[in-house]
Amino acid sequence: MASILQATFVCVFLAVFAPHFSLAESCIGASFNSKTYTTTDGALSTETVFLVEFQLSCKNKISNIFLNAEVDGKQIPVSRSGDNKYQVSWTAEHKKAPSGTYSVCIYDEEGFSALRKALRTGEESKVKPLITVPVDHPGVSKGPWVSTEIIATGIAGLVWYAAFATKKSIQS
Amino acid sequence: MKAALFIAFACLVALSSAQDGAKLLASKTLLNQWLVEGRDMTVLYTIYNVGSSAASQVVLNDESFAESDFAVVSGQLKVQWDRISPASNVTHAVILQPLKNGFYNVTHATVTYVPSEGSEARTAYTSAPGKAGVVAVKDYDRRFSPHYMDWAAFAVMTIAPIGIPFLLWFRSKSKYEALSFKTKKH
Repeated sequence: MASILQATFVCVFLAVFAPHFSLAESCIGASFNSKTYTTTDGALSTETVFLVEFQLSCKNKISNIFLNAEVDGKQIPVSRSGDNKYQVSWTAEHKKAPSGTYSVCIYDEEGFSALRKALRTGEESKVKPLITVPVDHPGVSKGPWVSTEIIATGIAGLVWYAAFATKKSIQS
Repeated sequence: MKAALFIAFACLVALSSAQDGAKLLASKTLLNQWLVEGRDMTVLYTIYNVGSSAASQVVLNDESFAESDFAVVSGQLKVQWDRISPASNVTHAVILQPLKNGFYNVTHATVTYVPSEGSEARTAYTSAPGKAGVVAVKDYDRRFSPHYMDWAAFAVMTIAPIGIPFLLWFRSKSKYEALSFKTKKH
């Protein structure tokens, strides 16, 4: 009987204090500096890679929190690689990754669960991300459209045709 | 009695779930058609959690790329996630540049994680991409570059054999035309 009482007490304690614990972890006044990389050489790589590395600093000196990212409706867990250093990376087919600026929205745990809840219920989410990192993708180039061999053959053909036409007009 | 039975049952459930826990499968792939010396190469890690509970303190560490052979362009070779929920996956990419050409044996990376709360950390290995041949820049350019310089040199060389006969012909032609013009005038 005593064990049941104990368990109940623990449950009540958790129910009352857990939200406070999670609140204590939120980052206030977030700022960041980021470094981004996107694939530009389409001839070498099979897929376009987007890679964002950023360092987060909070005014309330909170470090190493668990973050999630959201890009174009895709949710990605953010990996951590040291003190407040984070990385988000995802891949896409070359055709499905047109050039332009992508905004990577970073959410903390609270914001992310609110976002997922909003997505589940089909409502438009009003959750503000902790930070938004812009990623400029210049697009993937696969080299020149027409190969130089074809251009050279074309020019040779034109020269030959000019000579042939002149010869014909002289002879006639 | 009922309470004791209930507690025993709860313990059993907790034990079985602890035994199941999280189970991570990880793959490591190279997203390149060609590996070229001094050009970017993408390594993609994908970790799937096929277990019944979330994996915590997941650390991915790749020590298979020697610093003398590969330079890191972007991304980190050692990262961690606080949690990977069940039936979900995470991806991680690193951009490297091979510094020398030749064959390399790209081996696996390690993933350590805690399968369930209170249990010991488990180590898993990613798949290994295997032997990867890095092509020298010269060889790659010979096959795939547009060869602008080569074609320009070729164009300059063809000017002489085509241009000289054309000039000779053009001069004699204009000379005769001028003559015929004069005779017509008289």
